Amino acid sequence: MKCEAAQEIIALSVYGELPDDKAPQLEQHLAECEACRREVEAVQALAKAMSLHPVEEPSANLIARSRLRLEEAIDALPRGSWLLRGWQRFYQGAGRLRAAPVAVSAVLVTGLTVGGFSGYRAGEHAHTPAPLATVIAPASQQDDGSPVDIASVSSIVREPNTENVAVTYNRVQAETIHGSLDDPQIRQLLLIGAHNRINSGVRDSSLRLLADECHAGHQCDDGPIRNSLLVALRYDKSVAVRLKALEGLQPYVADDVRVRDAVLEALMKDPSPEVRTQAINVLEPVEADSSVREVLHTVAASDDSPEIRTVSRQVLDQLPQVQ
Amino acid sequence: MSADSLRFFPPSSIRLPSSAAPKIKSSSGMAIDPSVRATETDLIRQAQQGSRTAFDALVRQYDQAVLRLALHLTGSEQDAEDIHQEAFLKAYRYLGNFRFECSFYTWIYRIVTNLCLDLLRRRKSRREDQAVTLDSSGEEIDLLTNVSDQRASANPDRELNRKFLGERIREALDKLTPRERMVFELKHYQGLKLRTIGEILNTTEETAKNTLFRATRKLRASLAELR
Repeated sequence: MKCEAAQEIIALSVYGELPDDKAPQLEQHLAECEACRREVEAVQALAKAMSLHPVEEPSANLIARSRLRLEEAIDALPRGSWLLRGWQRFYQGAGRLRAAPVAVSAVLVTGLTVGGFSGYRAGEHAHTPAPLATVIAPASQQDDGSPVDIASVSSIVREPNTENVAVTYNRVQAETIHGSLDDPQIRQLLLIGAHNRINSGVRDSSLRLLADECHAGHQCDDGPIRNSLLVALRYDKSVAVRLKALEGLQPYVADDVRVRDAVLEALMKDPSPEVRTQAINVLEPVEADSSVREVLHTVAASDDSPEIRTVSRQVLDQLPQVQ
Repeated sequence: MSADSLRFFPPSSIRLPSSAAPKIKSSSGMAIDPSVRATETDLIRQAQQGSRTAFDALVRQYDQAVLRLALHLTGSEQDAEDIHQEAFLKAYRYLGNFRFECSFYTWIYRIVTNLCLDLLRRRKSRREDQAVTLDSSGEEIDLLTNVSDQRASANPDRELNRKFLGERIREALDKLTPRERMVFELKHYQGLKLRTIGEILNTTEETAKNTLFRATRKLRASLAELR
């Protein structure tokens, strides 16, 4: 060992930090080297001298004061401490992130399973319309005896990867019902008939019957029938139906503003002079009404048909005292 | 000369200071009572969950050691008190970050030594500034000069001599860099193992050894004229 190396570890040896493997070498070197022995003495002397600046125990006073001050400082923290704790919790939680990959995988797998299953179910529902079941159910019930009248097959859907198919079909079963015109069920059927867009004969008959009933004042106060007549008056293509509707509405022109407006509209706009003439007649109970008079003036001045103009004027002329 | 005879333990100073002071010490060769450590681990966990009582118990376990170190390093009760407060407030704030990767003793000492190093660095730069501009107006320098004068003029009373030597030693210590001062303090006065010192100062044992060697060299040079 050379002096330089020895001197570097002499301080360590004085402080008891000399590695065991170095001790014999140092010992051997010191035995031979006077200068390094003096170095040891010098370091020992230094260590001894340094103890003249001793470590003092903190006074009880200082300890007490410090503790008190610290407690006060911590007490002053609480307002922020929930935030602090929240942060600490978060930080601690972040420490547990090592477990996160497993948790994330678990959540992912669960999510995929649930999502896939519900998606499959939703798809199943989408391809299996609910009415189908109700249609099929009676069919299967009737399989045992009476043959089912099938009008048409509207759709066929094969369930994926199975032998099953879902067939949607329409059944037609004609039924006849007998009853009084006052029977609510009959009236309901007449209303349905009045909306029949395919068979104008049915529509015509239904409206005629309903109009007659209304004209006769048989339970026509309820909305649906009167509404059907109003709709027929405004939009039906058949002049006969519109005339019938007008007839049916006649009893209500005095009381129902909607009826009156519809009749006035017919008077102004209906393409058929017949309907317009009839409208003037229907309006008789409300001729004095200012809105009616206004329309009559307009019609008297500008209607295409000279007869209607004349009739309008006559009606107006009959009301001089009001004017 | 036997190897044992080379081992020198400075009187009283290297002895681990009293009672409450670290029976629990770092893993590197300090006395560890397993039951105490278990209790300490529980305390730390409780404190991490927000128990103030547990934290107070931890403070009481270490605050005397902290004050002792700070007091000796700074030579000022006020500074020691400030460091004590700042260190434990930091510990309180960041206890949640403590992961048991090192001993709590090392962790708390890391906080304290960092605060002390900051203070020493501030002082050193202040003193250097003063040395350039004014030589005798600084209070501290005046005091030292007075002590020195007293000694020079008065008869060599033993107590006074001791006091004078103590001051000279402090002066010599002040000439060290903050890091050398810290390593010397922890080794010579606090009696820690160099490995622990390395852990506390976030460096290697080898670096701590070299720093200690440099510190002893500088101290000897500073104090040579006394001999």
